[in-house]
Amino acid sequence: MNPESRKRALRYLFQKVIDPLGYKFSPDEELVDFLLEQEVKLEQKHGITYCPCQGITKKREDNMKIVCPCIPFHRKHYDAMKRCWCGLYVHKDVTNPDELRQIPFDEIKRG
Amino acid sequence: MKVFMYTLSTCPWRRKTKQFFKERNVKFDFVDYDLAGDEEQEKILEDMLKHTSNTTFPFVIIGKEVVVGYNPERYLELLKKGGKK
Repeated sequence: MNPESRKRALRYLFQKVIDPLGYKFSPDEELVDFLLEQEVKLEQKHGITYCPCQGITKKREDNMKIVCPCIPFHRKHYDAMKRCWCGLYVHKDVTNPDELRQIPFDEIKRG
Repeated sequence: MKVFMYTLSTCPWRRKTKQFFKERNVKFDFVDYDLAGDEEQEKILEDMLKHTSNTTFPFVIIGKEVVVGYNPERYLELLKKGGKK
């Protein structure tokens, strides 16, 4: 499958997962396109659509938590930011993703 | 003020973070974690996990302070603290 077709397929598949979780694709189409392209490349390299903004380690259990869409593994963190870490997904009520910040989970835990 | 960052070549916030410092004429060094060799990746993780519990990028060190994520307000605050106008 060529990269463009794979991007479209991923978008279709991911939509089905994120919708019931209360998330949608970011309205920033350029960002979404870039991130999906990176995921296709990561999938070609590793066989898995890892998050483009989280590091793959040698610990399989940790790596499984960064497989896109990784929302279920980081629910508290992402709900607090109203977005996922890389910004591919945002809460359904978000209209301007530029207002949202990446906040490290340690800060959210501290409150 | 010394600025250093660990980044991922696949992450769009890498470009934005670099752009932030370039626009302010702040020199920085960086290493792309995903493009590093196994041994270097281990060292990077060891370094990062001293400051954070996740392997989330970008990971920026400004002076002695660590900022995890793209956070222009915090970058600016730390640059000002370090004397950059």
